[in-house]
Amino acid sequence: MNPSIPPSTAEYGGDEVSAIVLDPGFSTTRAGFAGEDTPKSLIPTYYGKYAVEGQERLIFSDDVFVTPRPGLSVHNPMGRDGIVEDWDMAEKVWEYSFTSRLTGPRPGNPFQNGLNDIADGELPTEMDGVETEEKPLADSPLLMSECGWNPTKAREKTIEIAMEKWGTPAFYLARNGVLAAFASGKASALVVDIGASNISVTPVHDGMILKRGVQHSPLGGDYISSQIRALFKTNTPQPITITPHYLISSKAAVDAGQPSLAKYKTFPPEKAPDASYRTLLEERTLSEFKECVVQVWPGPNKLSATGPNGVSNEEVAKNNPGRPFEFPDGYNQVFGLDRYRVVESLFDAKAAIPDPESPFSAPTQAQTVPELIKNALNGVDVDIRPHLLANVVVTGASSLLHGFTDRLNQELMQSYPGPRVRISAPGNTAERKFGSWIGGSILASLGTFHQMWISKKEYEEHGPTIVEKRCK
Amino acid sequence: MSLASGVTITDECINKFNEFRMTGGSKGEKSKFIIFKIADNKKEVVVEEVSSEKDYEVFRETLASAKDNNGRPAPRYAVYDVEYSLGDTEGNRSKIIFISWVPSETPTLWSMIYASTREVLKNALNIHTSIHADDKSDIEWKTVLAEASGGKAGK
Repeated sequence: MNPSIPPSTAEYGGDEVSAIVLDPGFSTTRAGFAGEDTPKSLIPTYYGKYAVEGQERLIFSDDVFVTPRPGLSVHNPMGRDGIVEDWDMAEKVWEYSFTSRLTGPRPGNPFQNGLNDIADGELPTEMDGVETEEKPLADSPLLMSECGWNPTKAREKTIEIAMEKWGTPAFYLARNGVLAAFASGKASALVVDIGASNISVTPVHDGMILKRGVQHSPLGGDYISSQIRALFKTNTPQPITITPHYLISSKAAVDAGQPSLAKYKTFPPEKAPDASYRTLLEERTLSEFKECVVQVWPGPNKLSATGPNGVSNEEVAKNNPGRPFEFPDGYNQVFGLDRYRVVESLFDAKAAIPDPESPFSAPTQAQTVPELIKNALNGVDVDIRPHLLANVVVTGASSLLHGFTDRLNQELMQSYPGPRVRISAPGNTAERKFGSWIGGSILASLGTFHQMWISKKEYEEHGPTIVEKRCK
Repeated sequence: MSLASGVTITDECINKFNEFRMTGGSKGEKSKFIIFKIADNKKEVVVEEVSSEKDYEVFRETLASAKDNNGRPAPRYAVYDVEYSLGDTEGNRSKIIFISWVPSETPTLWSMIYASTREVLKNALNIHTSIHADDKSDIEWKTVLAEASGGKAGK
């Protein structure tokens, strides 16, 4: 390199910006640097709250799982519908997601951080004009994702936090359905997203979401957990209680179906964490159960239907080899037909396992995946329906349930025998879990993307309403 | 403005496309297709090939065998001049169709860039008929013909 010639922009990376991509979900919040393959920071959106001597303390990230502190309660700033409910806490959780692993904590006030203390006998230097508080994203553009039904108010609040609280120099808010479609190479697609608190179907056409067609329902991963709990209550040979690891001091091996011989830890009431803590930890066992045991009946037809040769599908499912599962207290059992039953209501509402105590009300047929797809298609122009059906993109961590895409394919072929139905679902687990984050990561890393960003100056000129105009 | 990569369309693309649209008849040999690609610098769309090859299968093969620098299947955009006949009364017609080709083996990075640049190119060329393909079976002649003629030809 010739030192007398200044480097061109390309050489010193004038276009390269260390943008941060933030994809906030109900169960987890994903954050990372643009251009990387997977989000470096993956934290639960849940946070813990407890009090020490009357002072409220907060716990973020995986730390929330670790210690059963007295009175520790678990909360989530997001609503079950995927829209933020508690903005103050959402801001804190999101900020934690990037300051903990990516940008480092906010620097303290330079007057008090010790570096500027005045030595004895020295005169104080002029410190006017020093920013007392540096904002955490002052150097990084921020691309965030949102669900297709995020209301205008929430979008404006999001840009307000990013610009005013975090001080980002540039911002963009992208629909996660569009990001997932693009990541599969498609500008037009029907995006089926199976998340924790929600399942959604988003028609994307020519790079835009078709709002009239967007459908969502609460039959996501957490609903499946509630079905598994319902199953456990009526389980044979004995009902199953999930006892999380923190309540077990030792366990012994027992034969399948035999009562647990574990020794339990007990907490006196004043030392015990809140019930919400236990629920969160039970949820971890349930996640494991979903990954190892649960399987979607692959079709064709419902689990309750009869197959072509007169044998009922349930009978076929029963004869498939069962899967064993051991609970934290040592209780273990092989699950046969039941491992299909707990997810069947995603496709057939009548198959739901009833549980009057469940926080989820019994599902309606309109909430099932095939009906959501039908309604999404009915909400869009008839000419583009075949294009959407030929480009069904499946994303979201709960879509990784064994057999999910096979069943979806069967259901769609049955409902739409005419047009060609094709499902594309990344085989790679990370791509399925982080589909929209990865899409955002690629876009925000492109040098050419700079023209899409909303700059701080534009925000100051137009206010939060600019997000509606620019991020369609 | 919808979400887009910001990748720009070079003047060459527009100029070649306008020539493509104007040629034919007395104005010389008619071009049948243009293949566009996104340059390796990920900044602009450039013209890869203009051809007057009349055999559709040659075009299909050319598009489907596009490779990146490492010899792996690569995405492309194309425009094709579809000529069709609507029988004795309506006579012969021609329509330009826009094709985006993103084979399913494409790495996510390039899938993302091609998908998020598609509308910008399609709008710059001002073409309203388009198909998206990720498999060779998506661009069979009968599919392309049906799309271009609005389902009227090739029945």
